[in-house]
Amino acid sequence: MAPVELLAPATEAETIAVLRSHAAGTVAVIAGGTDLLGDLERGHARPELLVSLRHLPWRTHAWDADGLTVGATEPLRRLETDPKLVERLPALHQAIAAVGSPALRRQASLGGNLGRAAPASDLLPVLLALDAEVELVGPDGTRTMPVDRFVRTSRTTELGPAELVRSVRVPELRPASCYLWQRVRPANDISQIGVAVAWSARAHAWRVSLGGVPPRATLSAACAGALGAAAEPSPAAIEVAAAVLSVAPVLVSDRRATEEHRRRLAAALCARAVARAIGRPTGEVL
Amino acid sequence: MSGRSRSLTVNGRPCSLEEAPGDERLLDTLRWRLGLRGTKEGCRSGECGACTVLVDGEARLSCLTLSRELEGCSVTTVEEVGREPVGRAVQTAFAEEGALQCGYCTPGFVMALTGLLHERGSSASVEELLDDLGGNLCRCTGYVAIRRAVRRARELVP
Amino acid sequence: MTSPTRPDAAAKVHGAVEFGTDLSAPDMWWGALVLAPVPHGTIRAIDLEPARALPSVVAIGADAVARLVGGAKGDAERPPFATGEVVYPSQPVAAVAAPTLALAREAARRVKVEIEPRASVTDVEALFPDWPGPEAARSPHVAAHVRARYGDVDAELARSETVVAETYRTAGVQQVPLEPHACLAEVDGPRWKVRTSTQSPFGVREDVASILGLEEGSVEVEGTWVGGGFGGKGASLLEPYALLLAREAGRPVRLALSYREEFLLGRSTLPLVVRLETGVLAGAIVARRVRLLLDVGTSLPGRDFATGYSIGFLLGPYRTPVFEVEGYAVRTNKPPFGPHRAPIAPQAAFVAESHLVHVARSIGVDPDAFRAAHLWKEGETTPLGQRIGPFGLPAALQAARDRAAAWRAGLPAGHGVGIGLGFWSTNTGAGGEARVRLDGRELVIEQGEREIGSGSVLVGLAAVAARRTGLPHERVRVDYAGTRTAPFDSGVYGSRTVGALGRAVDEACEKLLAELARRAGVSAAVRLAVDGERIVLRAGAASRPVVELLTDEERRGGGATAAGRHFGVANEIDASRVVDGSFFAYQDFTGAAHVAEVAVDRATGAVRVVRYAAFHDIGTVLDPAGARAQVEGGVAMGLGAALTEEAVWGPDGRLANPGLLDYRLPTLGSVPPIEVVLLEGHPGAGPFGAKGIGEPPIVPVPATIAAAVRDAVGVHLTELPLSPERVARAVKALEPSGGPDADRPR
Repeated sequence: MAPVELLAPATEAETIAVLRSHAAGTVAVIAGGTDLLGDLERGHARPELLVSLRHLPWRTHAWDADGLTVGATEPLRRLETDPKLVERLPALHQAIAAVGSPALRRQASLGGNLGRAAPASDLLPVLLALDAEVELVGPDGTRTMPVDRFVRTSRTTELGPAELVRSVRVPELRPASCYLWQRVRPANDISQIGVAVAWSARAHAWRVSLGGVPPRATLSAACAGALGAAAEPSPAAIEVAAAVLSVAPVLVSDRRATEEHRRRLAAALCARAVARAIGRPTGEVL
Repeated sequence: MSGRSRSLTVNGRPCSLEEAPGDERLLDTLRWRLGLRGTKEGCRSGECGACTVLVDGEARLSCLTLSRELEGCSVTTVEEVGREPVGRAVQTAFAEEGALQCGYCTPGFVMALTGLLHERGSSASVEELLDDLGGNLCRCTGYVAIRRAVRRARELVP
Repeated sequence: MTSPTRPDAAAKVHGAVEFGTDLSAPDMWWGALVLAPVPHGTIRAIDLEPARALPSVVAIGADAVARLVGGAKGDAERPPFATGEVVYPSQPVAAVAAPTLALAREAARRVKVEIEPRASVTDVEALFPDWPGPEAARSPHVAAHVRARYGDVDAELARSETVVAETYRTAGVQQVPLEPHACLAEVDGPRWKVRTSTQSPFGVREDVASILGLEEGSVEVEGTWVGGGFGGKGASLLEPYALLLAREAGRPVRLALSYREEFLLGRSTLPLVVRLETGVLAGAIVARRVRLLLDVGTSLPGRDFATGYSIGFLLGPYRTPVFEVEGYAVRTNKPPFGPHRAPIAPQAAFVAESHLVHVARSIGVDPDAFRAAHLWKEGETTPLGQRIGPFGLPAALQAARDRAAAWRAGLPAGHGVGIGLGFWSTNTGAGGEARVRLDGRELVIEQGEREIGSGSVLVGLAAVAARRTGLPHERVRVDYAGTRTAPFDSGVYGSRTVGALGRAVDEACEKLLAELARRAGVSAAVRLAVDGERIVLRAGAASRPVVELLTDEERRGGGATAAGRHFGVANEIDASRVVDGSFFAYQDFTGAAHVAEVAVDRATGAVRVVRYAAFHDIGTVLDPAGARAQVEGGVAMGLGAALTEEAVWGPDGRLANPGLLDYRLPTLGSVPPIEVVLLEGHPGAGPFGAKGIGEPPIVPVPATIAAAVRDAVGVHLTELPLSPERVARAVKALEPSGGPDADRPR
């Protein structure tokens, strides 16, 4: 049993070269490492080589006039504690705060979370509702694609051999946005279902997505359509949209929740998320 | 990459990582390579917080941290955190408020709270600190005395 | 009255105490268990060779045991490794040891285990779809059967004005200590030595000797500090494997469970199904029938106490003129049932209390008034004929009712307030002994229990000695020694430390004082006191330094000693009421009344506990800080059982949630402020009238939360936990009528 090696290449080119020269399955990439180490511990992954991204210049995030670019290895905690995030992209702030605990978020990264494509990810539904894009870099150079295309299904992405997520871009600031999820406890919990909503001034339309339900988060065009091309939908429109979301085909039973409960939650969370996004009271008791 | 000495600093002393495999956790380096068993092993999956240490002053989960990723970094454990004023204030607060029973989660709480006080400084409210400690589990105290200790620590730190 | 600072606090905030997981020896190897990959089936082959092919690995299975113990015959019903058949998921089938943990884990992975699978039995109701009849008592699925009665239940039910019949189901819950089981074993010639994280060093010694067929005297157990027990570390679990590996490897072996294994192999509370019928006439209960199906998993022989023990809690602390109770312990393919904190009592109290509330509401009576009217009082007898001694529960209930009334004033919409009661009997177990040693400067208590966290050993025992002798607590110290030299005690569990071991300490102190008085030629009452640096014996105004009263030998040998022992109090059950099986004789009665305010989200079913108050009948407070901490911790643990904790077994028999993400413990943000009120004045059997406080706090919690949820949204829930899904479904089912409580005044 040879000990596992760890390399920390200094540049993107070196990193890609190392990945290319090893067979798939023998090498694993570490961003924050929070998911990978769980896999190693449980014996789900047995790589010979670990490749660390820590020297790459991806540990940043930057605002510009239109949106936000987040480097793939930027820890979630650094985003979370940026005071601009909660004003400009509240849904993203809410989703990040839902991931594990602060200590975990000091290591976990957006790039890592996306690359893993876990079915219960809190970040994916929000990235969908924000029309986020990923930038990939690999042996054939860089390419960009919508997150909706990048994450194919549970634990499967468009990443090619020796290809990495370099950054995630949110192309439009959407202050009228919200992410709500059914939690059983306030921290270190896993969603039974999450709803992300965001108003795009540019597209003059809402985006609504459902998360926490396998195999992956999905956008609901029907629900967004029911909300209409209005920055402040009427209570009646919100009620219709919530009902539409509650019959989404993806809402099925699993060991975390039954279909019946998920449908009930989808409607409640959708109505509340939209109300919060536009600054209306939600009538919640808790 | 080559020629760089593989070491990190633990409690002020250099620790060589030459012999450590690439997948060695910081938790295991501390407890078994260095004999520093004050940092406790709980779930080993980042869900209980018992293994919390400071890396460059920030609270981190040592069970999910690879030691070889910390080359050049400085790690502080519960054995030595009392040498700095914030750590000492936190330890005093926990002991005086009786915010412990079996004591297994205590090092993790001490380090997590110390790290949070470093991170947020004097602007942290007690409520924010309590929110951020949600990742540290305790099965004995019901957290009631721990909340008192957090309040007290906040008072003791300028 | 204040408590001394915990003597272990300073060390613990510096991480300076050694737990089981911290154990280390210079030449030690690391052990790992090989767990069956199939939940249930016939073992066809176990091939250890692939593991042994790795360098320096030793591997043992069932057929190595006899050789390793020199031909001794262990208990055939408790073999360490599965033999012939795997009867529960992840049952250990082999074990390995190696110089590193990684190598041991790799070796364990390589062991080839061939099992022919069989369908698992996991659901007690599926086994007995029409509930067991009398013939079921002899079914191979039934591990134990108990039945007791008094009077003619059918006749009384027939003449009742109202009969309420319902069925309750509660989920299994696990102890989940933060520290998994861990030990370090070494075999040194004829001595089998193990250091281990345990609540009961002597219990481990007895278990290991029995399982391996060894003489108890050849087994030495030393307890480490314990990172949480809660009943799960009261018996041996890992020690036999570690000892066998140490013997095979010829060196010390450290064996610890991974956190996942802690869930898979934990022995704890399993599901309950209960049917109740209660008959009421003129506003009073006239008859009750209770039937229990208790899942005991792979029931271990000699641990069938569970059934007879649970039944009493299902009737609650209420007067019942005529009754019949019947319980079946049913075997399933799950790990063996084991004791949790106040085993089964929180689930049973939820059933008993929720049923009582439902009965009261069904006849239009306020549930708290109904409770008060039926509550046990001192001097009465329990359904099984046991005399109830001083009992503070009526006073606790009154205090709770006052608090609930205050909280109901100005309650926001969506909030509710509820009360729940629980009673407990301190389990004095097999008893214990202690010695005290007095030199000129301090009194040392020599005993064999480790402080597991509550303070009952380090502070509680010291408080007894301080109070008996008059010494300040700074002059009393509690020492720990392993089984080789310490006096016997049955363990830190059952809320018995102060009540039982404390009685032994008390007796030892009394004997010491009597002996010193005799030597001083004094016949009046004497006390110890501190004069400057020295301890003195005081009788009235006269005072003599203790050193002057010691013999030369005592002065050289560390001081004068005295020993005490306590082996339980008798409180007989009326045998004429028992039809079959054995029941647990409660020895001492304590009770608690809790109040909770909750807020319930009707759409999502989420429940937030806003505030909580606990009123406890403690007899006499010896360690106020420690008692308060036990109530706070027990309530929090109860909130987990009430709202979020549930061990989920899949249809294939496997535990579906062996981890902290899906087995949800309460977190800092989910436990509300908890007010603790300790009521003295109803003395128990412990020293100075103390009653145990370790377990009572968890008992009323699920019942209290259920009552508060009912008050908030009108739902009557008959299952635990009160998950958001169950609450939301029940709320929906009430629409639009609002349910049976809809028109009651608030």
